[in-house]
Amino acid sequence: MNSFSQTMSEAMPEKHFSFTSKARNVPGNLAIWAAILSEMSEFAVMFIVYFLAKVHHPELFHEGPTRLNTTAGTANTLIMLTSSFFVVRAVMAVRANQLITASRWLWGAVLCGILYLIIKYFEYQWNTMQGLNTETNIFYGVYYYVTFNHLLHVGWGSAGLVWVIYRIYTGIYTCKQHEGLINMALYWHMIDLAWITIFPLLYVIR
Amino acid sequence: MSKEPGNEIKLIDTLWLVLISLTLFSAWMAERADPGFISVAIMAAVLAIKGRIIVDHFMELKHAHKLLRSLMRAYFYVIPALIIIVYLFPEQIARWTTLS
Repeated sequence: MNSFSQTMSEAMPEKHFSFTSKARNVPGNLAIWAAILSEMSEFAVMFIVYFLAKVHHPELFHEGPTRLNTTAGTANTLIMLTSSFFVVRAVMAVRANQLITASRWLWGAVLCGILYLIIKYFEYQWNTMQGLNTETNIFYGVYYYVTFNHLLHVGWGSAGLVWVIYRIYTGIYTCKQHEGLINMALYWHMIDLAWITIFPLLYVIR
Repeated sequence: MSKEPGNEIKLIDTLWLVLISLTLFSAWMAERADPGFISVAIMAAVLAIKGRIIVDHFMELKHAHKLLRSLMRAYFYVIPALIIIVYLFPEQIARWTTLS
């Protein structure tokens, strides 16, 4: 038995069997990448719906963005990009063993998430005052479907960031071992990527 | 990415400024420029650059697993390309996607 397992390990080095991220040169773990790729695919389907609706209703998609609040859309883009930047700085701080500094960067990202949601709330209110809603026409149907879906991601993403901060406070992460934090960071960047795609499609391009 | 922590921070700070500037630039274009091919192409390019910066440097995929890196990078070639294709050939795409 012993010699058998020895032969096996010689014939097939451990790295071929490893599902850990380090051996495969994957940041975070494979589970979070399954989630991220699923989410990116989900958003891709929404973007395809947008493109198809746009070619079939060119006038509505030409006029649609002009009635949206570009300032709110731009502000939220700046906020999302900044939150992602804060998350990167948090990861760097953890690697430098500056855990309290890392938690402060992450609180900055959470604040960005909350600010995003507040702006979205006022943007939707503003739309309602302009007489825009999900049934105004297909452009606003797509707009509400995509942006509300994204808003939910920002909501639970922010909650996830708070969880990671709590984990920092419990002393679970070290400069060497902080995979959970990396996973959350990657997920947050995915939310950012979705928004930087949504912004030109719905607010800018006519 | 540079191994030196100080340089790494400097790079990330610079990239954040680039992302912010590109966003302000596209917002400015949206307000100012007439919608035309050039402005749509610039929007698509801006999206491609922003996506690539986040994928390569924020998600740190630049030197990571090849398949993962290629998939994530491809997203920010395909969507900008679709923006341009949909702008150039709306009628043809509408015809191909109409159920008779």
